[in-house]
Amino acid sequence: MELITATIGNSRSGTGALTEPRWVRLVLISGALLFLGVFLILPLIVVFTEALKKGVEVYIESVREPDAAAAIRLTLIAAVIAVPLNLIFGVAAAWAIAKFQFPGKSFLITLIDLPFSVSPVISGLIFVLLFGLQGWLGPWLSEHDIKIIFAVPGIVLATIFVTFPFVARELIPLMQSQGSEEEEAARTLGAGGWQTLWRVTLPNVKWGLLYGVILCNARAMGEFGAVSVVSGHIRGYTNTIPLHAEILYNEYNSTAAFAMASLLTILTLVTIALKAFIDWKSQIEVRQVPEQALAEA
Amino acid sequence: MSIEIRNIRKGFGDFVALKDVSFKVETGELVALLGPSGSGKTTLLRIIAGIEVPDGNDGAILIHSADTTSISFRDRRVGFVFQHYALFRHMTIFENVAFGLRVRPRRLRPSEKVIKEKVNELLKLVQLDWLGDRYPSQLSGGQRQRIALARALAVEPSVLLLDEPFGSLDAKVRKELRLWLRRFHDELKITSVFVTHDQEEALEVADRVVLMNEGRVEQVGTPEEVYHHPANAFVYNFLGNVNLFHSRVEEGKVYLGELPIDLPAESAHDAKSALVFVRPHLLEIEHQRNGGDNFRAKVTHINAAGPLVKVDLLTDWGAPVHVEISHERYLSLGLKREDEVFVRPRERKVFVESRGEIDGSEI
Repeated sequence: MELITATIGNSRSGTGALTEPRWVRLVLISGALLFLGVFLILPLIVVFTEALKKGVEVYIESVREPDAAAAIRLTLIAAVIAVPLNLIFGVAAAWAIAKFQFPGKSFLITLIDLPFSVSPVISGLIFVLLFGLQGWLGPWLSEHDIKIIFAVPGIVLATIFVTFPFVARELIPLMQSQGSEEEEAARTLGAGGWQTLWRVTLPNVKWGLLYGVILCNARAMGEFGAVSVVSGHIRGYTNTIPLHAEILYNEYNSTAAFAMASLLTILTLVTIALKAFIDWKSQIEVRQVPEQALAEA
Repeated sequence: MSIEIRNIRKGFGDFVALKDVSFKVETGELVALLGPSGSGKTTLLRIIAGIEVPDGNDGAILIHSADTTSISFRDRRVGFVFQHYALFRHMTIFENVAFGLRVRPRRLRPSEKVIKEKVNELLKLVQLDWLGDRYPSQLSGGQRQRIALARALAVEPSVLLLDEPFGSLDAKVRKELRLWLRRFHDELKITSVFVTHDQEEALEVADRVVLMNEGRVEQVGTPEEVYHHPANAFVYNFLGNVNLFHSRVEEGKVYLGELPIDLPAESAHDAKSALVFVRPHLLEIEHQRNGGDNFRAKVTHINAAGPLVKVDLLTDWGAPVHVEISHERYLSLGLKREDEVFVRPRERKVFVESRGEIDGSEI
């Protein structure tokens, strides 16, 4: 027993035989820092310096310019429709998969993952093939004067498709690990299906749910490939922030392009901050509790 | 209120969990469903609660003589205590207990004041009223178990069902809590059924014991009845330590070595072999062959720590025997390892094997 404690003490102090030589540690640490700097930190700095190169006034002007404002509005519309819908689909799918047994379950799981495994451009093309003028439903749609492709509905549809898995993927493992005993208990105590969902199931997964929504939102606002195919790039009408940034960049208007890009970057930073906050918050809830229980014993 | 279980069958895929189970629990009784794992006892409890649905149409669960098979949870008024408690982890203890009252339809829901009184009363009943503000993960196993019980009682159930109520507790807490449950039941007089795989627990706590094996009921009776008058080999084997001898039948007698034992009167005449059961404390060790009612064996191991001395022996024909004798007897015999002794069964139970099949023979 004394021997074991001695070994533990050694490895803690960092001078034991288990530690690598100093130069190896230095090389590994600086390698990791260099990698992070070049691939993650540097791009962030570039985006903001480029956007602000001609001063804050030009930056504000390029964000407030009508086409840019329209792009921001469209991005928000797409997210506001896609995120709540995927929230509902995601909770329903996770609930069904995690709490019930039924034939075709693994097929459903694969189906939910489909948007992850298909290239976004291909999913955009699928919508064009379905709803475009030459597509399957095209003639019927044009007869009834409904425009989906190269219009706002197409962008919303593509966004929903691409962001579909986020909430469900986040919830399924969490709900599975929690089992369905608490739901059964709620039912034996007289709770109905909705009461069980609102009072037991959802509160138990609230942090996972919030995390899924944040990821879903980030992707909905940042999606390029699928949206690009169905949009048609009509300035002021069917351009989202990423599409507008690309157009401006191709026109050598790099300050305006980076101003657009900086909006998405800010979204990313907010997402990361929220994610860190959620991790911290749920960690506290998990951790504080056993410690108190121990103190009790 | 009484519970009547009628012709309940249940399968999961190819696995048959319950094969036509029927018995009745009388009003105010505390009944144990006892059996090894996989015997279908938990499935049966979940069917009584309405969490699972039995197969087929001929089975029924009658609570107070009313068929509940097609009645919803809400109207069944069954209290269910889960094996792992299933407390709502995001609610305080108070809210956990209040849950059953809060989810009632608006016109039946008590006022906030009444809920508060009722919950505090229940928490006092389980002697944990000082824990109302805590969360389930801050409680010990035994405390959680009692909160789960209080929560189930909040809906004023007509029957109480407990799944392995002491299964996940350590040995000392188990013993305390099962005595507590017995006293608790005597106070409340609510018809209760609990599931256990621990025979000691079932015999100590229950008014009656339902022994289950492989989806069937093997015997129903008071602890005394099932222990002293086991209906078959499975029950005898399952209740308490036992020596089991697999013997051939010759001329209407079964032989333990050279010791002939009479077959039970009602047994089949064409029997080829039989099982002889003897409990360890009903075997006597002697140095001399006093009369013929014993068999020869050699001492292989002695454990003298504890109130009884446990002696392991090996018979002439190679069967291991386990004997428990008092400490005084052990000293007066002066037993040592490798001693050649004679073993005399004071009491034994013979179950005849018909066509090579016998219940519980593999255990």
